[in-house]
Amino acid sequence: MLNLNSDTLERLNAAVPAWLASRRRDALREYSRLDMPNPKEENWKYVTLGFDLDHLTIPATPGDSLPDGDFLTALSDRAGSAVMVDGSFIGVENHSQAWLGSAAEAWETNPPSDLLNADTDKFAAAALAFSSGGVSLRIPRNRAVETPFVIDVQSTLANTVTFPSLDIRAEENSEATVVVLFRSPDGVANVVVPNLQATVEDGARLSVTTVGLMGTEGVTIMHHRSRIGRDATFRAGEIGLGGRFARIDLRTTLEGAGGSVEVVGLYFGEMEQVLDYRLVVNHVGRSTSSDVFLKGAVEDQAQSVFTGLLRIEEDAVGTSAFETNRNLVLSEGAKANSVPNLEILCNDIICGHGSSVGPLETEPMYYLMSRGLSRERAERVLVRGFFEEAIDRLPLDDLDEPARQAVNRRFAEAQEGGRV
Amino acid sequence: MGMALRVRGLRAAVGSVKILNGIDLDVPFGEMHALMGPNGSGKSTLCHVLCGHPDFNAEGEAWVDGQEILGLEADERARVGLVQAFQSPVAVPGVDLVEVMREAAEERGIDPEEADQRIAAASRRFDMDPFLERSINDDLSGGEKKRSEIFQISVLSPKAALLDETDSGLDIDMVRKVAAAVDEMRGPGMGVLMITHHSRILNYVKPDRVHVMMGGKIVTSGGPDLAQELEKEGYEGLRKRLGIEVSPAAGTARPSSDFFTDLPFEV
Repeated sequence: MLNLNSDTLERLNAAVPAWLASRRRDALREYSRLDMPNPKEENWKYVTLGFDLDHLTIPATPGDSLPDGDFLTALSDRAGSAVMVDGSFIGVENHSQAWLGSAAEAWETNPPSDLLNADTDKFAAAALAFSSGGVSLRIPRNRAVETPFVIDVQSTLANTVTFPSLDIRAEENSEATVVVLFRSPDGVANVVVPNLQATVEDGARLSVTTVGLMGTEGVTIMHHRSRIGRDATFRAGEIGLGGRFARIDLRTTLEGAGGSVEVVGLYFGEMEQVLDYRLVVNHVGRSTSSDVFLKGAVEDQAQSVFTGLLRIEEDAVGTSAFETNRNLVLSEGAKANSVPNLEILCNDIICGHGSSVGPLETEPMYYLMSRGLSRERAERVLVRGFFEEAIDRLPLDDLDEPARQAVNRRFAEAQEGGRV
Repeated sequence: MGMALRVRGLRAAVGSVKILNGIDLDVPFGEMHALMGPNGSGKSTLCHVLCGHPDFNAEGEAWVDGQEILGLEADERARVGLVQAFQSPVAVPGVDLVEVMREAAEERGIDPEEADQRIAAASRRFDMDPFLERSINDDLSGGEKKRSEIFQISVLSPKAALLDETDSGLDIDMVRKVAAAVDEMRGPGMGVLMITHHSRILNYVKPDRVHVMMGGKIVTSGGPDLAQELEKEGYEGLRKRLGIEVSPAAGTARPSSDFFTDLPFEV
């Protein structure tokens, strides 16, 4: 087990090219300089972490792999798969003409993407300093890969922290679909700090759906960065179900003219979970479009946070930007924070945002009950219906059914447990 | 023959505003009664109070097929056999019409295959196939919503059906279809109370009784001819002829017939 210090860094650096080793030392300096985040910082408002990175260790060897769950089973038809366990690259299977393999191998010839800044927060600095591996996927130009690539990131060992680097590049006019799962067993306390970077070159079409399935004591703190080229399309899907604390700090930059981005998905926090979404969509190029659409529910003592900033820069003429966040608060002790924001530096744009937080509405409830559905059944139907719109918009149909079943099961369990 | 619906001394209020001021009503099995009345007289409220809308405080008594319903939750009333075709049904995005019908059947312990057969038969009759797998009442025209409501009544085949202005907003062909369906449904197992503004639908389906409601009360009842008389003299004429004093509370509190559209939630 390795502590987060310079000895560990030098040990990890022995295996990488000199330019990367130097980049890591810079990140370590940031790591040492930065404090653990606290709720007084705007970008960490509403959440208290309750642990310190310095008390965790990086596993030297991976634990045993986890069995497949519903989501992996539903993703049977794949272009390729890669598995990481406890920060180590375990294996890859690839049936496509894309390059899919370990980040370490990729780094020998290509530098990793640099969309994440070390001074973002202590976790970003740690990820850039201590990442011991990851997955790299590169779709060659003009290639379209129809079936999805699946990246399975597992965290199995207690009291550990891992920093998987997930570097995805869709070259010019290519097309691909990616699913990344984050998993850990219930009851095992650990932290995964993924650094997900997606580069969508001119004319490319890429979707990356993240599926949070961490166990009851798992923590995810993900930095999610993307850069979208001219006339390129990026779709970021999210299915947030797991973990004691799960955070996605997503920033996407529409650089090229005519690029578009969608961030779509759902989350459902149960019991004492905290689900934390911090999204920034940055419009730089002309005639770019964005649509953020997230629906979530919280029950029992669970909490969710959504802060979404649409930033439209001076030259982003012809931007269209929309943002919607809808929340169901299913128990008195549950809480959803929803804060959409706009920062508009350009006039000629179309922009809108909507946000709502509340319980199930009484009129639809009365209507369904007037058809003879019991209150409990009517609630189940309404919760199902609430999520349906978000499920419809997920980038990959294969995920619809497991997502639907997961939220329905979660609500049924909350009903059975008398928590809603 | 027993009573599909029996109401005695029914009073209801929203907060301090009294809307129903003592309703007595009997709809026997096998009969169709029309309930007419001017805007704001409390007709829709009567439907919602009987169906158990949570916003109303109700007093009095009501029975469906001999079973007291006022103490029951809305869903229990529906399963006892009282179902309303809403005047302005709420849209429920993400919840398909067919899904609601299947859930309703499952709640009643009806075999899924039989439920699907009933749904298919009713759907053929009211041309509902294009709407079955769409969100219920979402993005429908006024007429399509009415069709959907009467379709649901047809699937659920309650003992007592309340049709709240199901005929308004329908084209003439659909009015005929609804009238024919009501005529057919009014068998020994069902009594129908049809709320209507106009006597138009009554040209196609003859009511056994006509009741007129004003100021939250039924002020007069009669045979089918009463509807024709109303058509001639209007509510104002009837009011004068019968010397009825309308309690101002109900009339002024809710001047619109679309009572529910005045409430601060979407219907």
